[in-house]
Amino acid sequence: MLVPMKRLTLYALKNDRDALLLALQKDGSVMLIQTDEKSALPGAEEVTGQLDKAKEAIHFLDGHGAKKSLLAPKPAISYNKFLLESQDGRKAMDEAEALASQIATLRNEEAILNSQAESLNPWLQLDIPLEELKATETTECFVGYLPEEDLEGYLKATEKLLMDTSRFGVGPEGIAMVVIAHKSQAQEIKHLLKEHNFTEALLPKGTGSATQVIQELKAEAAKKEKEAQELEVKAKAIAGQKDQIALYADQMAAKGERLANGGTETVKTFCLQGWVRHDCTESVEKSVKSVTDAYQLDFRDPAEGEIPPSVMENNKLVAPYESVVELYSRPKVGTVDPDLMMAPFHFIFFGMMLSDAGYGLVLTVALFIAMKLFKPQGFAGKLTMVIFFGSISTVIWGAMFGGWFGLEWHPLLFVPMNEPIKMLVLCFGLGAIHLICGMLIKIYTLVKAGDIMGAVCDQISWLIMFAGFFCMGMVDGPIGKYLALFGAAIILFFGGREKQGIVSRLIGGLLSLYNISSYLSDLLSYSRIFALGLATGVIGMVINTIAQMLLGMGPVGIVVAVLLLIGGHTFNIIINVLGAFVHSSRLQYIEFFGKFFEAGGRAFVPLALRTKYTDVTK
Amino acid sequence: MITLGTALAFGGAAFSAALAGVGSAKGLAIAGQAGSGVVAEDPDKFGNVLVLQALPGTQGIYGLLIAFIILLKIGAVGGSGVKELTTFQGLALFFAAFPMGIGGLLSAIAQGKVAAAGIYLTAKRPEEFGKGITMTAMVETYAVLALLISFLMVYGINI
Repeated sequence: MLVPMKRLTLYALKNDRDALLLALQKDGSVMLIQTDEKSALPGAEEVTGQLDKAKEAIHFLDGHGAKKSLLAPKPAISYNKFLLESQDGRKAMDEAEALASQIATLRNEEAILNSQAESLNPWLQLDIPLEELKATETTECFVGYLPEEDLEGYLKATEKLLMDTSRFGVGPEGIAMVVIAHKSQAQEIKHLLKEHNFTEALLPKGTGSATQVIQELKAEAAKKEKEAQELEVKAKAIAGQKDQIALYADQMAAKGERLANGGTETVKTFCLQGWVRHDCTESVEKSVKSVTDAYQLDFRDPAEGEIPPSVMENNKLVAPYESVVELYSRPKVGTVDPDLMMAPFHFIFFGMMLSDAGYGLVLTVALFIAMKLFKPQGFAGKLTMVIFFGSISTVIWGAMFGGWFGLEWHPLLFVPMNEPIKMLVLCFGLGAIHLICGMLIKIYTLVKAGDIMGAVCDQISWLIMFAGFFCMGMVDGPIGKYLALFGAAIILFFGGREKQGIVSRLIGGLLSLYNISSYLSDLLSYSRIFALGLATGVIGMVINTIAQMLLGMGPVGIVVAVLLLIGGHTFNIIINVLGAFVHSSRLQYIEFFGKFFEAGGRAFVPLALRTKYTDVTK
Repeated sequence: MITLGTALAFGGAAFSAALAGVGSAKGLAIAGQAGSGVVAEDPDKFGNVLVLQALPGTQGIYGLLIAFIILLKIGAVGGSGVKELTTFQGLALFFAAFPMGIGGLLSAIAQGKVAAAGIYLTAKRPEEFGKGITMTAMVETYAVLALLISFLMVYGINI
């Protein structure tokens, strides 16, 4: 169900503001509302800057051996210690930042030197020192590149001019050449060069032949590289201080969140607005009281036009399925929380799609161990729990259908592959129940909103019609036919009731009757349960068959067969867990939610201590 | 001896596995190219990207599945020896592979495109990952239906 929310208004003195925000953050149950555009407190930007710097420093040190395995637990720290800004962390951060920027500069310079050296490659055959490539008393000197395709035209055009062209190697921009032109024709030659797409070369400064300059540049680059490497060794030496920087980053993140919203203010006082769960008001009041007596705190129900965040609350078995709903969208405030109705169907469908008791057992044990080891929290924790429940359901359904690691063994119900029609009937039957549940929820919300007409004409009428179809197949006599006709008649006459005039109303009714095709396609969609179960079972069979062939091939064959069995079944589990989760969720989103769900709720993000790298113990 | 019917049934199995496999390979390639670009920007997204990339891979598995069931039906796997099918039995099995082969081929490529779009969606708005998966899974519906009808057809042929 959706938790009712209260609107909080807190007036207090500005002197107490920092302490109050700190207390509220520790309590972690108030989501502040941005009432002013400029409600951030002074210093907020600086803190964000520090946070970014700290993150970059962590990233830098991670690249230099500070990265820990995923298994490593977060270092724990007491709340009081967490409040003291880590000066060590700040110092280490500055150090890491300085190192990072020095290394970056050195590497950059090195790259420039190397590319300069490379740009000289076409000039290796130049037999005079580079610094002597300049104008003399009577000549002008052009150094550069001419595209190869322009060479022929260029040679022809320059045949009769007072000039000399020496050609060297070919670079990316064309043929390297030195053009010596007599000053009397220099202008003309310059134009000509331009016409043939001649580009001037910017040769690196240096003295001596091209070979010598290249050597100098390379030596310089090697020196820079060595310096950079020395600094990297230094960075590795301070990698151990990453924890301090991480603590500092968490502290900055917490501080930044506190400073992000200071509410509206007068000269001496300020006012905060926010949302609180209805059952958390007392703890909020207590934390405010612990700071000061000079306050005015008020909780009230949301007024019209105020949209509180949507908080879902369910019992332990259903709560994990909130993650499935969150993947779609939170329910709109004031509508139904679908978790309770959805959970059993998700559970059943997941098990039927995976439908192998052996896989279910492996998955149950693996997930149990994983949850003990990693203790996933929040969204990831809920999602893991959904799959854990699903794997239990898989054991049940696998036993029903007799699937054990792709082998058939004592089905309690029947084997779907041998009796596909029975299986399809089972899928459609469950699907029908699922869809009817969705329609019943819609009826409930319509009746609650006072729209009896809508409930009867748009929902119950369909149910009557479906009941009629069901009776036509199951019960002798014309009762089914009459029920179905009765339902259809309601839809025909009232489906278009908002239209004016008898004719357009009947046409509207006829159009709503056409919706039967959408109900039909919804129902057919449940056949995917069978298909996905088939995929798991048959791929398991394929793996087993190949392994059996290998077993007859001596000792090597046995080893390969064992490897294949382990690897193949693991692959099959992974790919089919993905499929089972995606498709059983999809059946909720499209078929079930389509009947009643109203999306568009906001997330509840209270001001709280959300640490990324450390664990704060209170 | 292998009759024309048996050969046709082999043709059906080959058709189903090959076409659906090609489709999945193309689909995975489309999604994988998009995914590499996103991972280059943010390596932390690899997990999410991989899930989306894997989705068009199922058609190849379904194609293999139908091929395997056909082979099972005609006794080519399982050690009982290949059965001699009449030409019409073989032809029926050949046709039964059509939905999976063609449906798998085209739906996997289409799904690969949607998966690539979903990967870009995840890059820009990681919190909308679930919607990207749902939209990609919509395309798969038709591969699932193809699988189902191919299976029912193979199942329904008496040998």
